[in-house]
Amino acid sequence: MRTSPTGFGNPWLQLALSTLCVTASEMFLKTGAMATAQISQQWGWTGVTGLASGLVWIGIVFRILSFVTWLYVLKHLPLSVAFPASQVVHVLVPLSSWWILGEFISPLRWSGIALVLAGLALVAKPAARLEEKL
Amino acid sequence: MNWFSLLLIFIALLTFVIAQLLLKHAMESTVTRGFGQRTFGKNIALGTFLMAISFFLTLGLLQKFDLSYLYPFEGLTVIFIIVAAAILLREKLTAKLIIGSLLISAGVVLVAIS
Repeated sequence: MRTSPTGFGNPWLQLALSTLCVTASEMFLKTGAMATAQISQQWGWTGVTGLASGLVWIGIVFRILSFVTWLYVLKHLPLSVAFPASQVVHVLVPLSSWWILGEFISPLRWSGIALVLAGLALVAKPAARLEEKL
Repeated sequence: MNWFSLLLIFIALLTFVIAQLLLKHAMESTVTRGFGQRTFGKNIALGTFLMAISFFLTLGLLQKFDLSYLYPFEGLTVIFIIVAAAILLREKLTAKLIIGSLLISAGVVLVAIS
């Protein structure tokens, strides 16, 4: 296995940035979509009316950033490790929806989040050890 | 729910998984050969195109079904991706990786149905 870059180029740091960008994107898209929900009944279902909101555009920029960082991650990590690890968004998005948007999370949903976290710990641990050996 | 919708869900999933494999293949090729070569150009273009197809199919499905109904299928992508990566990209799966992915998948499904 080839050595992976350290510092800002560390693929795990970039993976974290990528998932944070997805989370930020979802927050901006949701807020922007709610702000523009009343614009047009006729075109609302296509989602394009959301483009009237600046927040949606910020969301799109974050989405593009997440895609670029994801490509970088793919260059350095195996897909079978990087993709499961990227599922941390299923923890980050509900948590931010709860914390920032004030959405409600049921006990069953909290247990789902806990399951994802347990899985992530299993996936990330052997990979982290692999990194240390390099 | 009819057969056609199920087929659309399946295609949306399949195009997403293939797109990830192509993107991985494209980025892998840049390690030794850089960005100015055909393997990169071809795979990144096709991968992005398939991502777009998957995106719009999902958007169309979201108009007909609840997110909580479609989300569990998304939870399954983790399983499909690691299996495809093992077979097609010859990546090595460890027991921890497989159990971890199953837990993540189950967790995503639980988050979706709750």
